Amino acid sequence: MVLSLNCLPEEILHSILCVSHPRSTAALEQTSRRFKNVTNEPLLWRYYCKVYYKSWDKKHAISQKLSEPASSTNWKQLFISRFHVDHSVARLLDSILASQTGRIEKFRAVINFGFDAKDTLVRHSRVESGEDHLARRYYARALLTCLHRSIAVPEWAKLRQGDPVPLERALAAFDLFIPETGFGDLDEVRVILDDIVSRFTTSCPDIDDLSPREKALLLASWLHENNITGMEAERQYHSLEHNFLGLALTSPGHNSLPLVSAVIYCYAAQKLGMDARPCGFPFHVHVIITPSLGLDMNGNALPGGEPAAPMYLDPFWGGQETAVSDLRDRLVFLGATDTEQSDFLGESSPSQIVLRCSKNILNSINSLSQAPESHTSSVDLVSAKYAALWSSMLLSGDSRPMDLRHKLPWLMELFATDFPSDIFLIEKHIVPLFEGLFEHEHILESLHVMRAVDGIPKPVHRRSGESNTIRYKVGQVFQHRRYHYRAIITGWDSECEAEEPWMRRMGIDRLQAGRHQSFYHVLVEDRSVRYVAEENIDLILPQMADLPQSLTMIAGKHFKRWDEDTRSFVSNLRDEYPDD
Amino acid sequence: MSTITLTSSDGVDIAVERAVAERSVLIKNMLEDLGDSGEAIPIPNVNEAVLKKVIEWCDHHKNDPPSASDDDDNRRKTTDIDEWDQKFMQVDQEMLFEVILAANYLDIKALLDVGCKTVANMIKGKSPEEIRKTFNIQNDFTPEEEDQIRRENEWAEE
Repeated sequence: MVLSLNCLPEEILHSILCVSHPRSTAALEQTSRRFKNVTNEPLLWRYYCKVYYKSWDKKHAISQKLSEPASSTNWKQLFISRFHVDHSVARLLDSILASQTGRIEKFRAVINFGFDAKDTLVRHSRVESGEDHLARRYYARALLTCLHRSIAVPEWAKLRQGDPVPLERALAAFDLFIPETGFGDLDEVRVILDDIVSRFTTSCPDIDDLSPREKALLLASWLHENNITGMEAERQYHSLEHNFLGLALTSPGHNSLPLVSAVIYCYAAQKLGMDARPCGFPFHVHVIITPSLGLDMNGNALPGGEPAAPMYLDPFWGGQETAVSDLRDRLVFLGATDTEQSDFLGESSPSQIVLRCSKNILNSINSLSQAPESHTSSVDLVSAKYAALWSSMLLSGDSRPMDLRHKLPWLMELFATDFPSDIFLIEKHIVPLFEGLFEHEHILESLHVMRAVDGIPKPVHRRSGESNTIRYKVGQVFQHRRYHYRAIITGWDSECEAEEPWMRRMGIDRLQAGRHQSFYHVLVEDRSVRYVAEENIDLILPQMADLPQSLTMIAGKHFKRWDEDTRSFVSNLRDEYPDD
Repeated sequence: MSTITLTSSDGVDIAVERAVAERSVLIKNMLEDLGDSGEAIPIPNVNEAVLKKVIEWCDHHKNDPPSASDDDDNRRKTTDIDEWDQKFMQVDQEMLFEVILAANYLDIKALLDVGCKTVANMIKGKSPEEIRKTFNIQNDFTPEEEDQIRRENEWAEE
């Protein structure tokens, strides 16, 4: 008899199926009884699930399933359901790219798949070529970060309600806003922290013989010596990246502000059985350690229930105890009253720490805006600001409506221009904050307008009749004659269609050709959107590589790809400007 | 350069450079356990033609670095085969399966891998009927069974 596929033993067939696509396996299943049996091995489909899909929504409890015998889960069915999700997400993304209309509902449909949508989005956010790869990358990434925010925001919402959230989770939520951190899940930060703790216990095996005080100090100096807390000498203290716990743990220098260093310390100390919490000392978060009941920090028993004095330390600087008298002196110097003093020396709740971190981020951004050339960090400024606004709005507390009101316009503006896929998060978490305040109606109204605008097709601008005189096209890149910024044209009007007060404020009639010349909507390299008169446009023909990264990153919002021949972007706004 | 002798199932002695033969974990272990007595090593499951083919592969790959970990999921997901191996595998099906069985028996992981990928590529993109034809598989389903299985697998159709 001639040797055929049918003659191969099962283990070899299994190896063949492992390198086959599951679709091939499905086809082979239909050929004969033997292959039907071979292709239905639970181990095979578990393998496919593991290899083809890395991210799983929580509802699957995937790590538990993986730890059980393969036969206790219907892996084939699970694979097929993920396969369907994969296709649905890809189709939704295609449809988002194909038309500017109805995007909000499509965003929502993608986000509703939860983390099951992630693998598809990650794949599309990395495409390097293809007819519409800039747009694909942009929207896949926008949805991916929206998915991450939909994990981060509820943590702060829980804190707001008074539900307990571990400090490291509440702080890691900031990292999820920043795509550059590479974090996609809150648990990832905890895993890194646990690893640090086990490194510490391995290198200091005798810690349990130490007194509580010695133990606390040993941990602080170990963390500092191993460069996990504190900051390298040459660093800019207010650098944006120093605010992020996840970044501090993963970046090479492990640089962090005192607040973040304190949170790292507290996590490790608590794991080692110490009662360590951040202390709300002004300007510089310290750590407060309370000894176990009935003992003092030296491990000696205290007579008759007398409360023991806590100890203070400052993990940012290392393993030195901070004398409480020093802290008090500094507070007196700052003019703190007695009650303020005991507040400042007391424990800070996770909410307070998150709020403080949010203020620090806004401070970092402010100091950057004064010296923009110093912004060398990998952290996207807009995303950082957005994170800070979200956290501070959720946690400022109802007693301070002014804070809320003050920040609302900033948040809404960022949301509308950069993160429109977050509309569901805004509806769920921001709108209720304003119930009973007059802003409530305003927010509802603007969300309603956003949905309405999203739902109707864009008015079509054709190049005919009087629009024939319009010189430049959607996708061309120019430098502003007076302000010298670089920008991409995203739309045009045959004459200025802005409102009268704006025209007056901008002095439109003082332009050589006044208001009766073509005006262009443009996307500027600083990510702003502007309206520019034709006479101020100085077309440039750059190479893609000459353009600032800030511009190429966001170009995908309106453009499919770069065209090397015309040295311009290929429009993805054809439903609005069919002739460009 | 030391040489050893292998005896195929059909009784043919083949001289092989030791380093080449040691691509086979089975032979390598045998040589380590028994020492190189200079006697021919019998390979009872592999005939001359197949054994020569396998040796040709081992000879070409004798300087390959040891392969990365076997559990590397991404490596296994791709069905990419390097050019030389593709040419090497352009043989009739009988020889292809013989080589796969021999690689399995002789414990030559990388060759088994290439063989499996070659078969996977032959299945890729084909309908059940085309697969039956390619591999001469007898359809032993009843029409009802066939219909049900087809419906169960509709997800995989484009």
